[in-house]
Amino acid sequence: MGDTPTNDLAVQVRGLTRAFGVRKALNDVSFELPRGAFLSIFGPNGAGKTTLARVLTTLLNPSSGTATILGFDVVTEAVELRHRIGLISHNPLLYPDLTAEENLLFFAEMYALDNPKERVSELLADVELDHRRLDVVGTFSRGMLQRLSIARALLHKPDVLFLDEPYSGLDPHAMDILDGLIAQIRGDHTFVMISHDLDKGLELCSHALILAAGKVVLFESRDQIDVPTFRETYRATVGSGVA
Amino acid sequence: MAKSNSWRQFKAILRKDLVMELRTKEMVTSMGLYALLTMVVYQIALAEAGDSFDVRLVMPGLIWVAFIFMSMLGLNRSFVHEKDQGCIDALLLSPVDRPVIFFAKFAGNLLFLLVVEVLSLPVFSFLFLQGREGFGNPIWMIGVVLFGASVGISGVGTLLATMTVNTKGKDVMLAVLFVPLMYPLLRAAVGATFAAVIGGPGTVETFWLFMAWVAGFDVIMVLVAYGLYEFVIGV
Repeated sequence: MGDTPTNDLAVQVRGLTRAFGVRKALNDVSFELPRGAFLSIFGPNGAGKTTLARVLTTLLNPSSGTATILGFDVVTEAVELRHRIGLISHNPLLYPDLTAEENLLFFAEMYALDNPKERVSELLADVELDHRRLDVVGTFSRGMLQRLSIARALLHKPDVLFLDEPYSGLDPHAMDILDGLIAQIRGDHTFVMISHDLDKGLELCSHALILAAGKVVLFESRDQIDVPTFRETYRATVGSGVA
Repeated sequence: MAKSNSWRQFKAILRKDLVMELRTKEMVTSMGLYALLTMVVYQIALAEAGDSFDVRLVMPGLIWVAFIFMSMLGLNRSFVHEKDQGCIDALLLSPVDRPVIFFAKFAGNLLFLLVVEVLSLPVFSFLFLQGREGFGNPIWMIGVVLFGASVGISGVGTLLATMTVNTKGKDVMLAVLFVPLMYPLLRAAVGATFAAVIGGPGTVETFWLFMAWVAGFDVIMVLVAYGLYEFVIGV
């Protein structure tokens, strides 16, 4: 197992299938994403978007097929890969009974960072939560939780960031902060974002994918996308009940 | 990028669980209250027996019934924090070996269980041994059996609590799986405690015989739990 990425592709998915009993949440999904790209994944509820994100983030094993991130296999090289990926979910993934600083320091220890306190201070300042560092996270608003969640995901400077409906429930100020953070790190990172918001997803993406009933309906780079046709295809997948 | 360090991760998970427990006191309070209430019920149930009945004969069994059921309350709580707001996903997303999570959660559960057991024993003695003969053998023997049996309870309990945290009716599911698995340990712990409490010729040998049984159970079950943990917690 190598320490350095061995592939020019950020994400390579081949014939990925994940079944829960007889139901296939993902059915023969294949696509490739270059480094530095921003992929927006759209699809109706139950399309398999979250299952795909969980497989790509090593939280779930596929039933068949392969997936590599930066050349690391999501099953056989999961531990190495986890150093290089981060996840921002609509769930904050933070301990409500710990303070903001304790949460980040805990995850800094999980990633065995060299200077955890410095990194935590830097990130708390970046997400404008420095003044609440000693407050218990259970007292935070939704926007503050999401900002702290962003700091948690960026602690170990991941190369690939997975965003699972990150704008869900955010107020405009928190959305601006998230936009700013994405813009700030965009050049150095690859993003995979799951979203129901077509406008936001298309605004940010370099590639777009529509998933329905566990299958890839459409995968195009941004310059290939004809927005009205894309919208029509998306509406058709949602409306046809394929999910 | 710094490499993962299992010892650092173990300490961090254990420290996090201790801080959260000190802040919320959920596990220790629920286990402690259960133990206290059980003892009060025992005392009422045995009140009519009077001096004609040596309560020390049933005390070991009563203690371990209380501790086994009390531990299930705490074990159930030990993974609820991880489920809140999806924290378990963030933990599993980090480059931590799954057995490190097992040993850290196991150590935390063992610590909380021992704290409640040590606090419960004086209350138990106060309620049941007033005016009677004390322990027949040195008190440290009780400490040995408490520690030995608690290792087994925490090891198996941590594995089962992880398995059942995502199930519907997890409280019932944990009890259904936990109690039958605990039977051999419970039998040996009661035997060792009985030998320690009663005293007399041959009881020290009996005590160590039962403790060997407890130690064997601990080693086998903790190794099985360690071996299965990645499968249970993972994908």
